[in-house]
Amino acid sequence: MVKELQEKVKQLFKDKKVDMVIGWRKGSLPLSSSPLFINKIEDVDNLIFDETCQNNLAVYITKDKRRLVKDGKKIGVIVKGCDARSLVLYCVEKQIKRENLVIIGVPCKGVFDKRKVMEQVDNKEVLGFSVNGKEVTIKGQEFEKTLDKFEIASDSCQSCVYPDAPVFDEFITEPRKEKPDIDEFAKVDKFEELSLDDRWKKITDEYSKCVRCYACRNVCPSCYCNVCFVDQNDPQWIGKSPEITDTIIFHLIRNLHVAGRCVECGACARACPEGIDLLLLNKKITKEIKERFGYTAGINIDEKPAMQSYCENEKQDFIMG
Amino acid sequence: MGKKNKSVLVVGAGIAGIQASLDLAEMGLNVHLVEESPTIGGRMPQLDKTFPTNDCSMCILSPKMSECARHPNITVHTMANIDSIEGDPGNFNCKIIEKAKFVDPDKCVACGLCEEKCPVKIDDEFDMKLRKRKAISRYFLQSIPSEYTIDQEHCLYLTKGVCKICEKVCEANAIKYDDVDKEIELNVGAVIMATGIDAFNPIGFGHFGYKRFKNVVTSLEYERMLSASGPLGGHVVRASDKKEPKSLAFIQCVGSRDDSIDKNYCSSACCMFAIKQSIISKEHIKDMDISIFNMDIRAFGKDFDKYYEKSKSTYDVQYIRSKVSDISELSNGNLRLKYVLENGEIRFKEFEMVVLSIGLEARKNMQDFAAKMDIKLNKYNFCRSDGFAPLQTSREGIYVCGGMNGPKDIPESVVAASGAVANSVKFLEVERQDIKEEGTNEKNVIGDRPRIGTFVCHCGINIAGVVDVKNVAEYAANLPNVEHSEDVMYACSQDFLDLIKDRIKEHDLNRVVVAACTPRTHEPLFRETIAEVGLNPYLFEMANIRDQCSWAHMNEPEKATEKSKDLVEMGVAKARDLSPLKRLPIDIGPGALVIGAGLSGMTAALAVAAAGQKVYIVEQEKKSGGNLRKIFFQPDGKDPQKLLQDTIKKIEEHENIHLFTNTVIDKIIGYVGNFNTSIQNLETKECTNISHGAVIVATGANEHKTKEYQYGKSTRVVTQVEFEQMLLNKDFPHGKFKNVVMIQCVGSREEGRMYCSRVCCTKAIKNGLELKKIRQNVNIFICHRDIRTYGFREQYYTDLRDKGSVFIRYSPENKPKVELLDSTDPDSKLNVSAFDPILDREIIIDADLVVLSTAIDALEENDILAKMLKVPLNADGMFLEAHVKLRPVDFATEGVFVCGLAHGPKDIDESIAQSKAAASRALTFLSKKAILAEGTITEVDISKCSGCAYCVDVCAYSALEIDPEKEVVVVNDALCKGCGACVASCRCGALDLRGFSNRQLHSVFDALELT
Amino acid sequence: MSDWQPKILAILCNWCSYAGADLAGVSRLQYPPNIRVVRIPCSGRVDPLFIMKAFQTGYDGVLVSGCHPGDCHYLSGNYFARRKFAVIKPLMEFIGLEPDRLQFSWVSAGEGERFSEVVTKVTKDIQKIGPITKMVKGV
Repeated sequence: MVKELQEKVKQLFKDKKVDMVIGWRKGSLPLSSSPLFINKIEDVDNLIFDETCQNNLAVYITKDKRRLVKDGKKIGVIVKGCDARSLVLYCVEKQIKRENLVIIGVPCKGVFDKRKVMEQVDNKEVLGFSVNGKEVTIKGQEFEKTLDKFEIASDSCQSCVYPDAPVFDEFITEPRKEKPDIDEFAKVDKFEELSLDDRWKKITDEYSKCVRCYACRNVCPSCYCNVCFVDQNDPQWIGKSPEITDTIIFHLIRNLHVAGRCVECGACARACPEGIDLLLLNKKITKEIKERFGYTAGINIDEKPAMQSYCENEKQDFIMG
Repeated sequence: MGKKNKSVLVVGAGIAGIQASLDLAEMGLNVHLVEESPTIGGRMPQLDKTFPTNDCSMCILSPKMSECARHPNITVHTMANIDSIEGDPGNFNCKIIEKAKFVDPDKCVACGLCEEKCPVKIDDEFDMKLRKRKAISRYFLQSIPSEYTIDQEHCLYLTKGVCKICEKVCEANAIKYDDVDKEIELNVGAVIMATGIDAFNPIGFGHFGYKRFKNVVTSLEYERMLSASGPLGGHVVRASDKKEPKSLAFIQCVGSRDDSIDKNYCSSACCMFAIKQSIISKEHIKDMDISIFNMDIRAFGKDFDKYYEKSKSTYDVQYIRSKVSDISELSNGNLRLKYVLENGEIRFKEFEMVVLSIGLEARKNMQDFAAKMDIKLNKYNFCRSDGFAPLQTSREGIYVCGGMNGPKDIPESVVAASGAVANSVKFLEVERQDIKEEGTNEKNVIGDRPRIGTFVCHCGINIAGVVDVKNVAEYAANLPNVEHSEDVMYACSQDFLDLIKDRIKEHDLNRVVVAACTPRTHEPLFRETIAEVGLNPYLFEMANIRDQCSWAHMNEPEKATEKSKDLVEMGVAKARDLSPLKRLPIDIGPGALVIGAGLSGMTAALAVAAAGQKVYIVEQEKKSGGNLRKIFFQPDGKDPQKLLQDTIKKIEEHENIHLFTNTVIDKIIGYVGNFNTSIQNLETKECTNISHGAVIVATGANEHKTKEYQYGKSTRVVTQVEFEQMLLNKDFPHGKFKNVVMIQCVGSREEGRMYCSRVCCTKAIKNGLELKKIRQNVNIFICHRDIRTYGFREQYYTDLRDKGSVFIRYSPENKPKVELLDSTDPDSKLNVSAFDPILDREIIIDADLVVLSTAIDALEENDILAKMLKVPLNADGMFLEAHVKLRPVDFATEGVFVCGLAHGPKDIDESIAQSKAAASRALTFLSKKAILAEGTITEVDISKCSGCAYCVDVCAYSALEIDPEKEVVVVNDALCKGCGACVASCRCGALDLRGFSNRQLHSVFDALELT
Repeated sequence: MSDWQPKILAILCNWCSYAGADLAGVSRLQYPPNIRVVRIPCSGRVDPLFIMKAFQTGYDGVLVSGCHPGDCHYLSGNYFARRKFAVIKPLMEFIGLEPDRLQFSWVSAGEGERFSEVVTKVTKDIQKIGPITKMVKGV
């Protein structure tokens, strides 16, 4: 598959269909990858795609859009399902023009959550891994351990229903015809069954771990404001101290700011140094928006985002009768 | 032309009078608005909801009412009548009698104490006598002006010389028993009449038992019953046992379409009124069983049919085609209706309540009034007007609008009002006005520490009777930045307003907080006051401690005092962060672009040009005239081709009108007052650039092309438009010409085109009558679903029926069938079979000609133009106005207007009225050299903007745009209305709303110490 | 505790709900004195931060009220507001805030009675729950 990918990218360069391609290369640490910016055919051989390709490469489009996208240059981006959805979002949000993008889909089978792997191998040094269907063998200095791949996949992958790019120009192999048979909101539903006070307790317990490092925000492909609301001070809506209500409000507002925009890539949760389950609230909002408005972020460039549109007669059970 | 005048008189302050006054006032004219009752507003305040959107009537009207009352160019004379109008257009001398009100409007603060204590109860006309009012009262709660008046006929003191209670309780000393009628003389250039309409009184009419049977009410009474502010608080119960009715019958055409009582006209609005009331009733009482007894359902307006269909599908309202012949009252108060179905079958049905859908009729005093004004009436006592001059009375310089010259619904009245204004302009001095520069002597407070003055109002005992006002004032004195605090008897009285100015100077105040009544009525007054001493008017904040505190918590004085303190504290918190705002001037360039040179476009162009403006008309066809070129007859005998030729001639001769035919619009950029359009000639490919201040869309519509009923296959199947050409040429099928079948609603009122094309019923009947003139012996059969000859068009329907034509009602499930006798011969005769509900069987007609009344289709290219102008289309592809009731020719995007078929199907008279209305609305802008933007509008901090354009999507006014170069949003101050939806949509914090800024609101939310 | 009275922030749109509140007063309809009203031009102006801030300040409840769908003075502001409410309300319940603490309503300029009913209901609902403990700063 990787060979096919490399051939395709080379072809794109040869056909002058791209000026640059962003993909992944092997990382310097085990179980990791780094972004690879390909400007010439020779660099293509470093291209990889496997379970270590967690990074959402779409972020390089917006955060540096003024540097990379100039004079109608075309950028190819190699994308998993969630990454492609980010690109769609950027097109919707006028961060890049669709014609300047070449979306190259790869069949994602889930990415590792490094933290989960390390837990399984008692934090021993890992040197390599091999994948065999649903099993992964992790190799270290003096050990080898076979793990269930689903178990060590990122939380976001465990509930992912869009592993393949919903919008693409090229796809390496074939996109799967059927969506994975997964209950994407299982965790949300389970949490909803708890009592009100239990929910509050869990949320406060979870978020009291937050050290306000903002790694979640920094890594989020949907967070690209020039100045984040939390860093604005006229007025200062949210205190900067680790006071729990400020922390919760920060996260709630961030959730609301990505409402109808979150592509569920899970980057926030993987980036969190405290391992806070940051996906839960996003998923809850995604669920509400999907059920109420039939909208899913990053699927269709021509669809108005959920919070930017309305139907006159939509359900309003949350309004007093 | 004779003299022109700066002043104009408007008679009647219903929605039509209000609209006319506002348009005139915006053109810089001095308007005298004369109203017979104690308040402006007319009929609309009595309505609960309006069709077909179920908008709250009062919600949409009250901003217009207060705008009218506050407008510096409008003088409102309530309780006033016109005594005489002498002289000529441009120079009328009018005498007005203003009745004694017995309350000094300058002193009355509308506290309502007098009404509470007044011992005399009288029937409340506003609530259709379902409630009592007092002899001193206010017409309704939101009356404008809000001051009370004494009913001279019922007041004990004025009639018997005893009582005087109101005088004793009035702390404002406003009672004036010695008040007398005043005579006012005015010199005006033109008069606009909008005296309105009355409702038919069904006492003793038919066998409906109105006033004999307790549970039979009129539709207007029922409207008050449905109203949340009505006598039943919106909880409908029937009079006999105060129980919710579970079944309800509406009887249509009570006092309409009835020659026996000299009302051979349709009241036009009652069908929709009944549909609305049934939908609202079902929303109140879900399991209510509702039947509407009708002859036809006339849902002919824009989006009316969808509403009608919804009433059937969603609300299960039953429609029974039948005349109710008798009602009897049962012992349990229920009513037994006897009715006859179309096939003659007699039926009975019991209902718990009956609503009589009463018709509309001319005002009672019309004959006397007309004699005094020297204007002519039609045979139903409505003001007479002409099909081609629908807003003109018989006396030059006097124009008519609203229901005065025939039944109309709200948007038609508004259209007529603006249209009448356009007519009157030729006798008025409309000049491009400068705006008064605001804030030239303003004190600069930027950078100064806030020095706040708080003033807490007693409002007599209205506030002070509940709230410890002194305590609140003392509390305020101790708040940070409050330099001065005091309590005052009446904050809004003139002596206090002077005092506030003194205090500002004395204490060098730079912010003012008044704790009193509601900012919705009083904020403008206080703002003006502080501006008089050089404070920016936006450095003002109100705390509503009367309407929302003392009046709502009359039995909890301590808590009300505590709440008042909080409200003042929140007000002070906001005041601290207030900054001066400027209403920036936006230059308005002259001239209008009219798109389309049909009758509507040309009429609009002439009306705009009449005010001295340049007009550019762009027409894509080679010839002007549009659809009017294909209309040769009118049922009233008028000649449409003469109208067309006259209009074209006027256009050609007018020095200020430039007509570009065979030309299309390439691009329109800009905004109100500053449009720039490039147009291109289709032949020469030559491009021209035009600068203009306004745009009028009059692109028209198309006749629907059908494939139904053998059209295109048979030479004997034609459309009404083709038939009209045949009538003109007297060119009928050769050989026997005996039977003509017309089929209505071809393409209309069905899937894909769920609207009524409005003109086809009258057109079919008109063509029928015309045929009868030429070939008396031809039989005419009209297959229809409902005959919708609304208004005075009903007469023609009766005429054609009297001439023996047969009307066959068909249902959409069982349409008539047309077959060629010889399917290989396109000239072959036709067989039409249809089910006749009167005969209760299928009939077959041997037809020599079949005429199809095909629908009116929106132009496909509307879409492109709509995008260029940033205005919306409705689901049917017609241009969608800003508000279907009160802004029928405007778009939310300012400076762009619509008229004629582009807006929706309509007749010639309606197109004329609407084009004039569009012209008049355009002139409200074009008659100014600049307009002031709102003060409270959105501002952008581009350093924070990521250019995602989410705000662009939520703006209803197209006030935001992404700058393609900088990739950030820009706000057009001229278009922003200050709702703040964009601000809330901006996650980046790049947008903020002046006057309701994030910082100000944050301070308000944070003001109180609660933990 | 027995004499505890909730304080409720009511954010009302200028054209409908604020006018409805005025009408309730003009009609002398009595309702509990627990609300503190903030007037905004349109319910579309409501930023979720307003609601969060109110709870953090210590309001025991928040009521946001605007024009009925279709009645918006600014044509569509309340429709966009409604989409926001549709997300905020379930989200706040999801994290464990008592549902009745945050309520939304449509009240028109003509519905004085409805306004007083809404306020009465919201006040009673919040009285039942008791003083706010979640979301409020320093607790």
